[in-house]
Amino acid sequence: MDSESVKKAVIRQILTESNTANARQLIEKVNENCFEKCIPKPGTSVSSSESSCVTQCLEKYMAAWNQVNQAYIRRIQQEVGNGTFSA
Amino acid sequence: MDSVSIDQTDLDKLNDKDKAELRQFITNEQQRTRIQSQTHALTDTCWKKCVPGAVKGGALDKNEQGCLANCVDRFLDVNILTMKHLSSMRQG
Repeated sequence: MDSESVKKAVIRQILTESNTANARQLIEKVNENCFEKCIPKPGTSVSSSESSCVTQCLEKYMAAWNQVNQAYIRRIQQEVGNGTFSA
Repeated sequence: MDSVSIDQTDLDKLNDKDKAELRQFITNEQQRTRIQSQTHALTDTCWKKCVPGAVKGGALDKNEQGCLANCVDRFLDVNILTMKHLSSMRQG
């Protein structure tokens, strides 16, 4: 391998690892919050209405994640502009 | 997943220009990861406040959207207030 291909391999590995870590965190949170919402009284199996609740909850949670991410980034940029974080 | 593993002899092949590019890439990645982690924590907190009751449909309604945006901003207001207060306590 030459320098260029080593660099590309390192970048690819870092991206894979950070994307996996991000997905893992999302799955953990969706599981927690949608279990809470959709399975108030755990029965002997997941019913079809519980299962469709989980599907909708997952979509909604991801929409909430994107909304929060946007608001957070907007605020960081605003605070950086205001010099709030300068030492 | 491709199983090309990188070892020290590979890393020794990096020239200075590529090393500098990698450092910059890693710095940016660390920042992106920090923001994503914080987003996970904030979404958890704000989901509990802004989406009470049963889930009806997979989309957010207008109220929930507004609540989530406010939730993020007020959470960060509190964060900044706390830091300011703590720094005034340290000086006082």
